[in-house]
Amino acid sequence: MSQLLTIARRELGALFYSPVGYIVLTLYLLFVGLLFSLMVMRPGRIADPGPMFLWNHLILIFLVPFMTMAIFSEEYRSGRIETLRTSPVSEAAIVLGKFLGAMGFYVGVIGSSVVFVILLSFFGRPDYMPVLTSYLGLLLMGGLMVSIGLFFSACTQHQVLAAMSSCVVLVTLGILFQFIPAFLSPFIRHSSSWLLSVKHAMSYLAIEPHMAGFSRGIIDSQNIVFFLSGTLLFLFLTYVVLETRKWR
Amino acid sequence: MAEQFDIIAENLTKSYGKFTAVDNISFAVPRGSVVGFLGPNGAGKTTTIRMLTCFMPPTSGTGRVAGHDVFRESMAVRQKIGYLPENTPLYLEMRVAEYLKYRGMLRGMPRGELAKRIGHVAEMCWLADRLRWPIGKLSKGYRQRLGIADALLHNPPVLVLDEPTVGLDPSQIRETRKLIANLAGRHTVLLSTHILSEVELICQRVVIIGRGKILAQGTPEELKSGSRTGDKARLLVDVRGPADQVKSALGALTGVENVTVLHDGPVCSMQLTGRLDGTLREQVAATVLQRGWALREMRSGGMSLEEFFVQIIDPGAAPAA
Repeated sequence: MSQLLTIARRELGALFYSPVGYIVLTLYLLFVGLLFSLMVMRPGRIADPGPMFLWNHLILIFLVPFMTMAIFSEEYRSGRIETLRTSPVSEAAIVLGKFLGAMGFYVGVIGSSVVFVILLSFFGRPDYMPVLTSYLGLLLMGGLMVSIGLFFSACTQHQVLAAMSSCVVLVTLGILFQFIPAFLSPFIRHSSSWLLSVKHAMSYLAIEPHMAGFSRGIIDSQNIVFFLSGTLLFLFLTYVVLETRKWR
Repeated sequence: MAEQFDIIAENLTKSYGKFTAVDNISFAVPRGSVVGFLGPNGAGKTTTIRMLTCFMPPTSGTGRVAGHDVFRESMAVRQKIGYLPENTPLYLEMRVAEYLKYRGMLRGMPRGELAKRIGHVAEMCWLADRLRWPIGKLSKGYRQRLGIADALLHNPPVLVLDEPTVGLDPSQIRETRKLIANLAGRHTVLLSTHILSEVELICQRVVIIGRGKILAQGTPEELKSGSRTGDKARLLVDVRGPADQVKSALGALTGVENVTVLHDGPVCSMQLTGRLDGTLREQVAATVLQRGWALREMRSGGMSLEEFFVQIIDPGAAPAA
């Protein structure tokens, strides 16, 4: 357990040492600031930061891959994977430690948006419960995104390839699956069409519907299960990739 | 028997598809000794080491380190081994002391002991004045020392060093060798290298590997003398005189099987091979003087470890004169 935390701390440190961490943080604040000024901080609107959180995933699907791309790829490329894997640490501790470290940074990034909530509190009296549930939702969503990034980083020693692969998957989940089902509707002529199942599957896998509840202050176990099971699936896949790599 | 050896490789094999990188290798490293693992680049040294350090499992065969099986008791082996991989991979953004602390905690060392050991290994590896430096700013020599310090940090009984002197300048090489030689007795060291003088200087035993197979093993002296008796001995003679006449005169002596002219000129060089024991050298000298030529030089052409090495890793190449 202490070794797991040692790995997590190093991973977190690496993100704070690298320029990538600060670029991610800057872009995030820029985007959330834009959402805040365009959708929340408007004259005559009620003090509801909800929209600001609802659209967070649109920037995070592009930022998280850059946070996670180096986590394993850079270890493979530099050969440090050898010192890591020959230390008395289990593969599971390596995967969880690195996940925890990246999550630590992710929490720092989404936590920075709290300044906008504070700003809003000067001008109105927002309901703080939806803010808390929004952060819970962002945390759960982050777990899924980071574990996807971790998985692709474990697959290759090329950081750029890892970042692009996780970007593609996250864009698919975060944007494509949200809008494609609407385009499918005209082609679905009867209720037994296979396209209907595809549409349902896509709608279920899309990120936005699962975030919507949290941003309105609703904690729905269905959404928690969606994010948690996705996170566990990709953490397990990362573990499998790491385990199988040594047999090659 | 088993406890006298800290590293035992038994029929270790690693195949990648049809390519066999390491082919049925067996050797043992006695406790407390420094053993050189010698071979040209691509011979399978690193692959063998990676199997012994639990980085990759062998295709077949077994390895035991400090009494534990590398596959079934991998965690126990990793506790007892200090490993410096090829090219010394480090976290460049960390500081030296910070890195050592990270590595110690990764190995589960208690804080108090860790602080003491960091001071100790920094002293041992001449790193004490660089503890606060970012690793990225260190020279290659210092990085290498840091790698060795990391391998020594938990005071492991077994050390595996993969080409620890590559990329160092001559004085750093000397220092590193001194450091490794000092480790003998307290640690069992397997040192992989492709530099021969290194092995002659600091290793008690040598295992020579080429194309995935063990070609020879023993003490450096055994290998050198073994090469002399197993092969025809040679005598090199430089004479001032006509080459063809010298050749026929020396060829007529008893025990000489073959004479080769290495260099023709006012002073010619001959290489004599055969059973060159007894009074042959006296006979050669007497013959040369009788004919009125001048004897410039005569030396035994016994093989150096280097020639032996070149010969066994590449039997096709003619031995250099």
